[in-house]
Amino acid sequence: MVGDGSFLVEEFINAITSQLDRVQDSLRVKAVNRPLTYALKDLTLELKVFVDMDAQGNVRFRTSAPNEAGSSVVHLGFTTITKPMIEENTISLASTRSTSLEELGLGPEDRQKLERVGVRNLAQLNRLGSSTGVQTVARLADVSLDRLKLAIATGRPQVHAVHPEPPPKAHPVPQPPSRTQPPSRSQPPPRVGPVFSPPPRGPVPPVIRVAHGSTKLNLRGANLMGDDGPVSVRLNNRLLEVAEADNYGLAVHLPEQLESGALEVNLPDGNTLTYELSVMDADQWAPNGDRHEL
Amino acid sequence: MWTPLADTLLQLVDSMMAPPDTGMTVTEAFLEIPLEVQSAVQDGKLVFFGTPPHSRWKSGVLPEVHMSRMRIELLGEV
Repeated sequence: MVGDGSFLVEEFINAITSQLDRVQDSLRVKAVNRPLTYALKDLTLELKVFVDMDAQGNVRFRTSAPNEAGSSVVHLGFTTITKPMIEENTISLASTRSTSLEELGLGPEDRQKLERVGVRNLAQLNRLGSSTGVQTVARLADVSLDRLKLAIATGRPQVHAVHPEPPPKAHPVPQPPSRTQPPSRSQPPPRVGPVFSPPPRGPVPPVIRVAHGSTKLNLRGANLMGDDGPVSVRLNNRLLEVAEADNYGLAVHLPEQLESGALEVNLPDGNTLTYELSVMDADQWAPNGDRHEL
Repeated sequence: MWTPLADTLLQLVDSMMAPPDTGMTVTEAFLEIPLEVQSAVQDGKLVFFGTPPHSRWKSGVLPEVHMSRMRIELLGEV
């Protein structure tokens, strides 16, 4: 909202929709103690507004004040729709988590031009670019081709590090005190879990060492969220279940029967990174046969 | 005194229910109600207020009246 009391059309729609949601929620709550349930099916509002356009080219509405003549009438119709209808008519939630145009280094003017052709994030830019070509997008949106190419290059999915989560610690079993103390041994320094940073691609796949009993594998990088969701990870051609994912990281569950093998990371841009996952057995040289956590 | 649009709509829906001792049930209702609509920013969010006109007479400076139409339906017995 700006000083003259005007607001963007989307703010206007959101504000009325949130009021209608409150109505439906309240009716639903009331139905708990009432035998009959009513629903507000449709609402049409003939709102008298003054339509304005700001310096950035955004259309703004201002509700007419008392005794103001010459207002426009906006007929707004709201109706209830089902969940499948919402899914059919809106973009997927996964695509909204993609890298924003601002994060790609595009300025406000370029962002606004791209939004006019329906591009609000990297996933949408890539999809439009792959169907029409980046040059066409640049021409249609009136954005410099070089800036657009640079933004796409900046938004390329990258994996910076792959490291396993250490296995859960076993609870120590209390031992009865013994009279004869064994000679003290110096404890080996604690080992830090292996953290792998992949070197430039070569013919030999980089090795990721994972301790036996590890349950999760963490990937850190950038632009890991594509239009269809996060990157997919396969171990020995078996899809690993995603535990959590965002644009900068991903955690996948490792199978209980963990075996060494090829680890493939399928990136949203179609490229595949291949690693060799090596499961490390218990340390045979540990004192009293204890296992060391890796 | 401005009432949030949601509260006004809820009261309108409630007003459609037949009194319990009449033995009647309203299954569907169409309403055409003029509303005085105002907007304000509360906690950084745009909020709409809507109330029926506080006077049917044209006198002095009155807020703008916006026509609203709504369809209320009985969803069934819970």
